[in-house]
Amino acid sequence: MNWRSKLRFRDLVGTSFLGLRSRRGRTALTALGIAIGIASMVAVVGISASSKAALLAELDAYGTNLLEVSPSSSGLAVEPLPLDAQPMLARVDAVETASAVSKTNLEVRRNVNDSSIAGVTAMGADPELFTTLRMTMATGRPLDDGLGSLPVAVLGEVAAIRLGIHDLSGGPTVSIDGHNFEVIGVLDELPLNPDISRTVIVGDTAAVEILGIKPNPTSVYLRVTPEEMATTRPLLKPTANPDRPAKVNVSRPSDFLEARAEVDRNLQNLLLALGGVALLVGGVGIANVMVISVLERRGEIGLRRAVGATRGHIRSQFVLEAGLLSGLGGVLGVLLGSAITIGYARRQDWVIDLPPFALAAGIGAALVIGMLAGLYPAAKAARLDPALAVSGGT
Amino acid sequence: MSTPVLEVDDVHREYPGSPPVKALNGVDLTVDAGEMLAVVGPSGSGKSTLLNIMGTLDRPTSGRLVIEGVDTSTLSDRRLSGLRSARLGFVFQSFHLLETLSALDNVATGLLYRGVSGRKRRSMAQKALESVGLGDRLQTRPTKLSGGQRQRVAIARAIVAEPALVLADEPTGNLDTATGDGIVDLLRDLNQDGATIVVITHDADLAGQLPRQVEVRDGLIR
Ligand SMILES: Nc1ncnc2c1ncn2[C@@H]1O[C@H](COP(=O)(O)OP(=O)(O)OP(=O)(O)O)[C@@H](O)[C@H]1O
Ligand SMILES: [Mg+2]
Repeated sequence: MNWRSKLRFRDLVGTSFLGLRSRRGRTALTALGIAIGIASMVAVVGISASSKAALLAELDAYGTNLLEVSPSSSGLAVEPLPLDAQPMLARVDAVETASAVSKTNLEVRRNVNDSSIAGVTAMGADPELFTTLRMTMATGRPLDDGLGSLPVAVLGEVAAIRLGIHDLSGGPTVSIDGHNFEVIGVLDELPLNPDISRTVIVGDTAAVEILGIKPNPTSVYLRVTPEEMATTRPLLKPTANPDRPAKVNVSRPSDFLEARAEVDRNLQNLLLALGGVALLVGGVGIANVMVISVLERRGEIGLRRAVGATRGHIRSQFVLEAGLLSGLGGVLGVLLGSAITIGYARRQDWVIDLPPFALAAGIGAALVIGMLAGLYPAAKAARLDPALAVSGGT
Repeated sequence: MSTPVLEVDDVHREYPGSPPVKALNGVDLTVDAGEMLAVVGPSGSGKSTLLNIMGTLDRPTSGRLVIEGVDTSTLSDRRLSGLRSARLGFVFQSFHLLETLSALDNVATGLLYRGVSGRKRRSMAQKALESVGLGDRLQTRPTKLSGGQRQRVAIARAIVAEPALVLADEPTGNLDTATGDGIVDLLRDLNQDGATIVVITHDADLAGQLPRQVEVRDGLIR
């Protein structure tokens, strides 16, 4: 006796798809709910991944081998670096370049009579700094050894905006502590050194001779051979200040940039949670629609039972139908979320980074949510009394 | 003599309620292979209840249903579903066709739970449709067919798996007399070709055209 029902897997899938195809409008609307949830989650992940990728690309460009040696700011009295800190540091094997700067509190004004404060300070720098920080010019030229003692200045990007100097036509000047300096150049953005972007850079000799600041460096910037970063870093404090190594601080500016990539974690989680709520609502919508569907399709269910479907077959059909419905929303959502990410990243001039894992997870999550939402309606369908189900009319 | 296709043995069916409805009160009926019989009786007499029990869509409250020598009372839902898919075919008053499927695919649904490949299902469905005179309507949807044609599609679906027994509940109930006569003729032709068929009807004229009649009244066979 071979009285066994058997439904091939592909026929099960076909049967579930049939249910969706037969009610296109409803299928589309219900899938849309899931699509919105998935799209927002994919967009959140995609945009933050792209933003991070853009940041890392920026890091690559400016290098992660830049170190800043400065006086430790813990405690009240800040002990300046010794005069010979720069030459000492430059002598360390793995140090490629070492450039000293003297940051000051001297306010920079558009001219002597200007009483407004732009929040821009002056800084004396070894002209080699332009190489060490890989500075590029928005306009004009950098300082060089020949200009180090002259009353000329290069503006950081932010400083130039604050001072209202956009180009060099008309030979603009700035006033530092009553002394006039000719502006010879404006820098591009400095993602690793936003503090320098806010300063006006003058030659180290000019800073001492014209502005009368102390010659002790406030920071020394170093480029270190990347492979020897780890072994070199511990040597720097005692080299910079052999007497008081504890009073020296060594930092890596790229760390701050990297940290910035993590700052948005909280916001990202919040947005993901919102996407999750949208998904949940979408799932409830699917459960609802499927319950209604089961009520409407009693005749179909009865007929399937009459031609040999087991309760399990009916249950699988409806669970899968709900899963496919939701999965459809998932595919739609992934497409939509990717489009949002690509559009946004393009506008921001970012590299586009859509983690394939996130895309697969989006569709997978939709499938699972749909199947879970389908469990109850499917159980209802499977429990229908076949005799009652066929007695109704369709 | 060979085993009967179906034996109904002292079957009772009571629907719970207050008071409970005694739809069947000890029905005995034997259907042999190759038979064609009409079950007649007034409305509410228990005909549909009996047919559902014969088709294992419903279980008796007490009594036995034996199909091809196998007592079905001990079978699980899965086994009963298997039995229906392999040995039974149904024709309903309201057709129960899937509107979004072609006539061919509707008929092929009769083999869906047999584990038969799609191609085989369709070729068998085509033969079944040809045998009910709808060989030229394979791709037509039920909504584009007349009532009589729809019932032919439903009959093709009932016979496509070559069942031991075809059960028809008021197959002409939704059709006008002329169309209904056509359906009865078709069922008789199928019976001539060897199918065993039970037809429920409350149309005495129709019943009179069939070789054997059984009358149900108040849940009993007279
Ligand atoms: N699911 C049910 N629950 C309760 N009572 C039912 C149920 N199905 C049928 N009945 C009752 O059982 C009795 C027999 O019903 P059945 O449908 O078998 O009659 P029938 O002979 O097919 O009638 P008709 O010719 O009108 O189709 C009726 O009194 C009916 O009200
Ligand atoms: Mg009836």
